[in-house]
Amino acid sequence: MARRQTATLRTLRPVPPVWEIRLDLEYAPGAGSYVLADLGGPVREPLFPSVVDDTGFCTIVPRGHAVTRYLPGTPIDVIGPLGQGFRLSAAGYVPDRLLLIAEVDELPWLQPLYQAAPSVALVVEATTRGRLPPPARFPPTLELTLVTRDGSTGYLGPLESDGPTPVGIECALPRVRELVAWAECICIAGDMARYPALARLVQEVRFRPQTDFAQALVRVPMPCGVGVCDICRVTTRHGERRACVDGPVFDLMDFLE
Amino acid sequence: MIELAPNHKYGLPIAVPVMPASGTFGYGEAYHDLVDLSLLGAIVTNPVSLRPRRAAHGQRIGVRADHFVVHTGWPSPGLHRVIREAGPVWRRLPVPVIVHLLAARPVDVGRAAAHLSGVRGVRGLELGLTEDLSFAEARDLLAAAAEEGDLPVIVKVPFSRVDDLAPRLAQAGADAITLMSPPRAVLPVAGGEAGGQVARFMRGRLYGVALFPLLLNALSRWAGKLGVPVIACGGIASPEDALACLTLGAAVVQIDALLWRVPWLLNSVARALVQSQPQPDTEQDDVSADQGAMEANL
Repeated sequence: MARRQTATLRTLRPVPPVWEIRLDLEYAPGAGSYVLADLGGPVREPLFPSVVDDTGFCTIVPRGHAVTRYLPGTPIDVIGPLGQGFRLSAAGYVPDRLLLIAEVDELPWLQPLYQAAPSVALVVEATTRGRLPPPARFPPTLELTLVTRDGSTGYLGPLESDGPTPVGIECALPRVRELVAWAECICIAGDMARYPALARLVQEVRFRPQTDFAQALVRVPMPCGVGVCDICRVTTRHGERRACVDGPVFDLMDFLE
Repeated sequence: MIELAPNHKYGLPIAVPVMPASGTFGYGEAYHDLVDLSLLGAIVTNPVSLRPRRAAHGQRIGVRADHFVVHTGWPSPGLHRVIREAGPVWRRLPVPVIVHLLAARPVDVGRAAAHLSGVRGVRGLELGLTEDLSFAEARDLLAAAAEEGDLPVIVKVPFSRVDDLAPRLAQAGADAITLMSPPRAVLPVAGGEAGGQVARFMRGRLYGVALFPLLLNALSRWAGKLGVPVIACGGIASPEDALACLTLGAAVVQIDALLWRVPWLLNSVARALVQSQPQPDTEQDDVSADQGAMEANL
């Protein structure tokens, strides 16, 4: 249901290089779903939650984003929650072992899932060590695996690649395979162009995973939120789907080529 | 009632002079939580092609200041699937449905018009023309839609071809003319990590409030001179804008992609227009007087 609500901008906090925004909202979006906010531009902006609680949600926006021009206390017109978010109980039970995989820029959208299962493992990939958040920022209950493209810390990425590895650096792929075999559910947030390769990886390890065993967030412009504008169409093996209503979280296997 | 197709055997009467523009409202029900459909005059569907069409690749929207460019490639599930899935919705909608047809070949348009003629709820067709069509090609498409089906045919004229096509297509038998499809535009798209350096461009349909003066210009030139009702479309962002269009001679207004930001604009415009309708015995005088005043100012 597309619901019109008024959110109240509660706080704006710089967390370099981004801003954390907190909005009070009666019906807040869950992990992977979103609201469309009217921030004065010609189209609404999707806001995804990085933290969700009883009174609203937090989101992360880049420096200079339209919402950073508002003062705390400002009411903001939003439509939502919209879309299909992460579905952890898709198999009919809450998983005990949850694997989260994210590129560092997309990590906030998996943050609401950090405590969604008794055992949660998180794989974060960045280009280099300096782009990774300090480990102290993660809850101690998370089993953390860091991956860098240059091997400056953690495992060597990209995580779906099994290319040659310099001596003394471990390639990420075997570790990721191990975690995929361990997990009961996988949630991914990253560049959509990598999803076919990740889907192949999951298929290699799990052969024929059940629907929604692995789920992937697709973040593309979604100006209407109700599936009418066709701007957010993504190609899946079932044909074109609209990210705003059919997603933005899809079964990863839909991207298998 | 407003008669949108006075020269057609069945006509196309609508109660309220407001409807969504093609490509902005889906196939009828997507906005039902946010828009009271019963307040509208009609629904205009997303563009429909006879055969399925895929979405365009690459960037599909570019936003800049108060305007934006959209390039979707007009994806369509194809006419048969649209009828199968949206047909039951159209039957129960409280307002007439106008199906927007993507003009391709006359034979396709003719077939689509024939199929749609028997679909309950569908009361008219809107033919979307591309900018590169000659008048003869546009006329053939219009003839195919009119001859193969029995629904009134509205022709939506591209922004850059209004002076050339609108009067000739009205003469050629269009039941109404929609002024106008969005202009084509190019926006620079900042790309890469080079800090906002322009790396590429995107081309597409331009939307924004700046289209409104262009629409008024087209209306001031052509509304009332075409001999058929004119539907105004482009940058209408408030009830006052809609009233200005009606004052200049438009019979109906269409709200375009601006409704993605404010879907309930459709209802607020509808309410304002209904409230502003003059009493029947003074209607003609008031409109003529307003129009005279506007024309004098122009």
